[in-house]
Amino acid sequence: MASGLCRRGPDSAGVALYGAAQENRFKLRVKLGEHGDLRAEGRKLADGLSKIARVIESETIAEYQRFVVEASCDPKLLEKGIEEIGPQYEVVSLGRSLEIIKQVGSPENLNASYPFRKFVGTHGIGHTRLSTESRVDLSHSQPFWAHGVPDLATVHNGHITNYHKLRRQYEQRGIRFYTENDSEIIGKYLAERLSEGMPLEEALKASLMDLDGSFCYLVATADRLAYVKDPFGFKPLLVVDTEDFVAIATEEVALRTWVDSRYEAREAGTSELQVWTLSETPVAVGV
Amino acid sequence: MAVVHCDGKTTKEINQEISELIAKGAKTIEVRSPSARHNLAVGLLQPVELLFKGSVGYYCGGMIDGARITVQGSAGWGLGECMMSGTVVVRGNAGNSAAASIRGGTVVIYGDAGARAGIAMKGGLLIIEGNCGAMAGFMMQKGTMIICGASGHGLADSMYEGTVFLGGEAASLGNDTKVCDPDEEERRFLKDMLSEHGIAAAHSFKKIVAGRRLWNFEKQEFELWKEVL
Repeated sequence: MASGLCRRGPDSAGVALYGAAQENRFKLRVKLGEHGDLRAEGRKLADGLSKIARVIESETIAEYQRFVVEASCDPKLLEKGIEEIGPQYEVVSLGRSLEIIKQVGSPENLNASYPFRKFVGTHGIGHTRLSTESRVDLSHSQPFWAHGVPDLATVHNGHITNYHKLRRQYEQRGIRFYTENDSEIIGKYLAERLSEGMPLEEALKASLMDLDGSFCYLVATADRLAYVKDPFGFKPLLVVDTEDFVAIATEEVALRTWVDSRYEAREAGTSELQVWTLSETPVAVGV
Repeated sequence: MAVVHCDGKTTKEINQEISELIAKGAKTIEVRSPSARHNLAVGLLQPVELLFKGSVGYYCGGMIDGARITVQGSAGWGLGECMMSGTVVVRGNAGNSAAASIRGGTVVIYGDAGARAGIAMKGGLLIIEGNCGAMAGFMMQKGTMIICGASGHGLADSMYEGTVFLGGEAASLGNDTKVCDPDEEERRFLKDMLSEHGIAAAHSFKKIVAGRRLWNFEKQEFELWKEVL
């Protein structure tokens, strides 16, 4: 599906994949740098991390260090601890099931670096990026993990026009931003709403009022998947909802890379949102 | 019948192949596995018959003048945009802005249409058998829209001229609309048009036209203008 959309966004590609959760374990993917041989950086990070958490697995894969650690600590403190080891380290994803891999370049290149096609899981969201305002690098690529909340990831198509205003307010409350990409704000917004105790569906509904501009975004958690479309319907979003699977994409051309023509695609309506909860049903998605 | 296979071809190659077949005198062309590619059959100026076996992407049949296009699948945004004459028929659903700015011809959608269907129509006929999204017929200037199902918010907002017939309910009407009952001639027209396209029309239709209060600025209607602008 991502390859089907690559023409739309050739700058970078990424996926947030949800695999089986292990009891009392966090999976982490930490960015070591933008390019080059980063194994020494990885070793340094692994040494540092072993002082603050019980590391079960540690591996350098291209720009990332992948860890499995014992989930006995507060995820926020764990992330802070990693950032204190060195400012170059950025936690790209943290969760019980979530793993994000993203990179500058095409989905084909991403798959060559991290063979995600072999990943076994329940659901996922993906993105190909056409940068309009912010830098093209790994950090600015999507999906975004909503720092602080394990397993919460978003992808966004559009432009959040009150981004600067909202960002200022969040920063005044001590929330750190990792990029200048306006899409990052969606995860921050949802993370804050969820931490206030708001159910996901309510938070998504509230975002229709609180976020301005054009947006279709997808949200995934360990067991939920959702989409939201802005009140003016500025951006396209096609949905195939069947008994067996759910597939969502910006364009039908991406769906038709694997979704049979027997399954009808429907354009999501304005101000529309839908949430699915994971059962035994396998799910596939992409924006 | 001439056949175009799309697999492994670019949009440009497919459109070129269609043009070459038309130049050679093909009257009917079947296009197989279009796989929702964009910009197919745009700007065709000949009375050719085209059948897409599958979904098409954005702007299919845009700016055509006389071609007859059938899509056995769904269509993306801007279906038949700016067409002059001819027919575009979609068996499935259509994305946003179907039949935007058409000047003539007929667009038929058997499924649902997205937002802004028939926006800025300048003539022609748009028929939607299913439902349509928000802001259908926005700033329409001429032509006719028949919506058999329900409509989203802001139906027929700020129209200059033109007529919208609605079979179902509208989530809300747009600014400056006037709702009335179709007269006998219009009821006959609706019946004829729907039966011509094989659409059962058991229900009655409401007719929506411009209230004409936005045509000229009136100071005493300042509140209405404030709302619109």
